Amino acid sequence: MQSAASSGALAGLRILDLTDYRAHLCARLFADLGADVIKVEPPGGDRGRRIAPFVDDRPHPDRSLFFWFYNLNKRSLTLDLESARGRELLCELARGADVVIENFGPGRADAMGLGWARLHELNPALVLCSISPFGADGPYRDYLADDAVLTAMGGMLYVNGYPGRPPVRPLGLQAYHASSHYGAIATLCALFARDRDGTGQWIDLSMQAATAGALEHVVGLFFQNGQPERRRGTLHWARFFRAGKCRDGYVLHSTIGDWTSLLEWVKADDAAQDLITPEWHEHDHRAQHAEHLFDVLDEWIKDKQRDEIVARAQLLRQPYAAVRYPGELFDDEQLLARGYFVEVEHPELGRSFRYPGAPCLMHGTPWRVYRRPPLVGEHNDAILRDELGLSREELAVLTAEGII
Amino acid sequence: MALKGIRVVDFTWVVAGPVATRMLADNGAEVIKIERKIPGYMGPRKVGLQPDLNRNKLSVAINMAEPRGVELARRLVKISDLVIDNFSARVMRGWGMDYESLRKIKPDIICISMSGLGHTGPRRDYVSYGPTLQALTGFVRLMTDPNGEPAGFGYSFSDLAGGLAGGFAALAALWHRRRTGEGQFIDLSQMEALTGYLGPGLLDISVNGREQSPVDWRPQERPAAPYGVYRCQPLGDDDDRWIVISVRSQAEWDRFVGAIGAPSWVNDAKFRTLYLRMRNRDELDRQVAAWTANHQAEEAMTILQRAGIPAGLVQNGADLCTRDPQLQFRNFWAPVKRPDGSDTYVSG
Repeated sequence: MQSAASSGALAGLRILDLTDYRAHLCARLFADLGADVIKVEPPGGDRGRRIAPFVDDRPHPDRSLFFWFYNLNKRSLTLDLESARGRELLCELARGADVVIENFGPGRADAMGLGWARLHELNPALVLCSISPFGADGPYRDYLADDAVLTAMGGMLYVNGYPGRPPVRPLGLQAYHASSHYGAIATLCALFARDRDGTGQWIDLSMQAATAGALEHVVGLFFQNGQPERRRGTLHWARFFRAGKCRDGYVLHSTIGDWTSLLEWVKADDAAQDLITPEWHEHDHRAQHAEHLFDVLDEWIKDKQRDEIVARAQLLRQPYAAVRYPGELFDDEQLLARGYFVEVEHPELGRSFRYPGAPCLMHGTPWRVYRRPPLVGEHNDAILRDELGLSREELAVLTAEGII
Repeated sequence: MALKGIRVVDFTWVVAGPVATRMLADNGAEVIKIERKIPGYMGPRKVGLQPDLNRNKLSVAINMAEPRGVELARRLVKISDLVIDNFSARVMRGWGMDYESLRKIKPDIICISMSGLGHTGPRRDYVSYGPTLQALTGFVRLMTDPNGEPAGFGYSFSDLAGGLAGGFAALAALWHRRRTGEGQFIDLSQMEALTGYLGPGLLDISVNGREQSPVDWRPQERPAAPYGVYRCQPLGDDDDRWIVISVRSQAEWDRFVGAIGAPSWVNDAKFRTLYLRMRNRDELDRQVAAWTANHQAEEAMTILQRAGIPAGLVQNGADLCTRDPQLQFRNFWAPVKRPDGSDTYVSG
């Protein structure tokens, strides 16, 4: 592991992360690039620390893999923001910070005395990113939502699954992920603006809107056709991809590559059926009759092996893919060759674990692991003593009063 | 505008790259899209996405097969801050437009390449699109129908994941350059960006050795029951109407019971605690579905949300783009003119 001094692209920025488990990822994106992110948690630990899975399935606030995933590279400060003294300390930290990210819910930060007006007065250069389910105002501002509700309201859920059957939810908390990414991008843009005039700004991020902003085809095709896109199972809306079952699993078919070479292969296996007629050479014809085309291809592969199909297809420059389980990623020769997974030491457990690594390789300012996810309140002393100049005695009092 | 004064030379196509540069353009960067002659690779349906993907950008058509075309592009790079493409490694190198060549004419240039599997490694030339990457990373396998068949994604979520990662990396590199004067090369593998979107399940695999189960309507964050997607009354002749409901605590349950009119079945001992409701969820779901079946999705949502229960209708394109009052309140839909002069809207 590297020390905190670094050449990360965002080194030098300080971020106060007041979010709960629904928006943890946002500040992590900054921490991964070298920003000093202080995760402010209630005494006893963030709610996300109670979310499974846990190391060896043993629940404990310092063993939640859910918390680990979203809080790598952050420092932890426990602070009771319900108490006046806790809020006072937070305000002192905000004076020296570049960014505060919160998701208390519309109006809640104001009620706590930590809203935009107060923070802006304390530190005019500060950027405040407020993440809420539907935004700070409007008819749905007080509506409640979790990730599932947001995928529904953001249009992500409706288009997954089979027609006539219930929608299938995305794998992973994708409304939360998209919101955090949009939050990080908006925050960085606000910092660029601040660079010019010295003034921070308030970002009001609606997670529903962010989810709707992470759709591909739904919006564009609705405004083009006036018809909502429906579910079609794994048949991609552009109609050139569909999953098919083979002997030992599934492959993703593709009919977007060179048709002649694919057809020759299927013909050589005596499985081309009616695909030999010339109209199948036309892109649009293949899209229009995609269901039949993929039915024929499914019949063709049903006794073949997944990895053999894909290896041969890729040699022919056909974008076929193995339909894999995520576990297979840990043996993926491409990810391993590029050093995607990183080993992170957890000295208090005497073990180290493989984490997913950089979302991209920044050659000038590499992504890296600065520190493993923090234990509850691990950096209380360092932050309150070194940054705010509190004495040992003051810290003892704060601890005794349950403020940290 | 936040990114005023930043100029981007944009070679990207399909979806992931344009999503990344759209975010730069929306925030005030001058994005110059280099258009080449590309056959309509996804057919006419793709045209519908153009306003949403490419608003706020400028377009220049350059024939990169001609040396004079390449020379023009290099002159553009000289007066730009960022060059972004989503080709495999060979393409930009072939034009002499790779980072090593471009830094000679613009020492602090930032180059981002958003290829499918990255510029290095044994599979750097793998042919991939969003759906390919979703298959490789596990999304297709685990987004299953209750019958066990792969059922998702119906679109290229991967392109959005890659685009968001690319947009953020571009901004971070620009931030670093503003402070140090240094440019750099960024090798973005969309597969790696997408892998991160799998979330904590990856650590469950590496730490606990547990392969992930297919998604179902069991809560992923906090214990909850009722929890799931329930069918609602048809809207006109559209019977594909659904609502998601999430009842997480005893207090929410009590409010839920009140909101649905306290029918007698809620007093059944097997629904008394959250633990029991989760254990008897199949029976509970049938009761809840009987209630939603008698309500319009939007009406059910309003009833439940007024009582303080997380609930949301499963919005289709028409709900989202024409009916949702919240997105309209936030001016989410921005009017634009198509090249032919007709009007349309793009997402905000």
